[in-house]
Amino acid sequence: MDFFKTLSVAASGLHAQAGRMRIIAENIANADSTASTPGGNPYRRKIPTFETEFNRTLGVDEVVLGKTEGDPSPFTVKHEPGHPAADKNGDVKYPNVNSLVEMTDMREAQRSYQANINVVTATRRMIQRTIDILKA
Amino acid sequence: MGFGIGDLPILSVLRTRMEWVQARQKVLAENVANADTPGYRPHDLVQPKFKAQGALQQPHVGGVSLERTNPLHLAGFPDPGSSFRSATSGGFEVKSTGNAVNLENQMMQVAGNQMDYHIATTLYKRSLGLIKTALGK
Repeated sequence: MDFFKTLSVAASGLHAQAGRMRIIAENIANADSTASTPGGNPYRRKIPTFETEFNRTLGVDEVVLGKTEGDPSPFTVKHEPGHPAADKNGDVKYPNVNSLVEMTDMREAQRSYQANINVVTATRRMIQRTIDILKA
Repeated sequence: MGFGIGDLPILSVLRTRMEWVQARQKVLAENVANADTPGYRPHDLVQPKFKAQGALQQPHVGGVSLERTNPLHLAGFPDPGSSFRSATSGGFEVKSTGNAVNLENQMMQVAGNQMDYHIATTLYKRSLGLIKTALGK
């Protein structure tokens, strides 16, 4: 029955979007994490990637979370001479996390998650209809 | 060599229709799951066409696969197990990542698929009911 393959594909989508949500949460939580040593690098924003994976057992294209990449964009530099992470010029490097970007990314993850849930709900209903034939 | 109730033209047509909807639901799920995968193009299945007697117009096309000149060759993508032809759909709204999945469009298709399945199962149920009535049960 193809419906169980459908559920497995949708589940892989849910899993990938949940992983993306986790990375977004890490970024938001660490938006102010500076280095502990003077002049060191702060937290670098992480970017989730997605890949198509062919499931040989079921013969379907599932989605998996690929390697997490670091965002190469430059860090925000603020002049705070009293900060423990300040370098000799008094500059502190802050993470390259833009909370506005993270928020829009989070909404997108939420939307994709919902779409996968929709597929699961529709498929479950269709399986129920098949069982209902027995009750005819 | 018995002739079961399921071999009646109306029931076999409905069964093929249900198989098609199931295969299509799988394809749509793949599209939705890969809605954020770079370079992914959405797929869809070609509607089965029936002749008057309930036979498929192109009986079991065996999917779109590469020509195999030797039986030892492996069957390629897409899904050699499916008996319905696959078509790459959409593609007019390609994101900068090369992904062409339109989530809203896919949701509409999932809902439409669900309705198609409902129609097919209801007709199947009613047809079985007709036979039961004829049998006097």
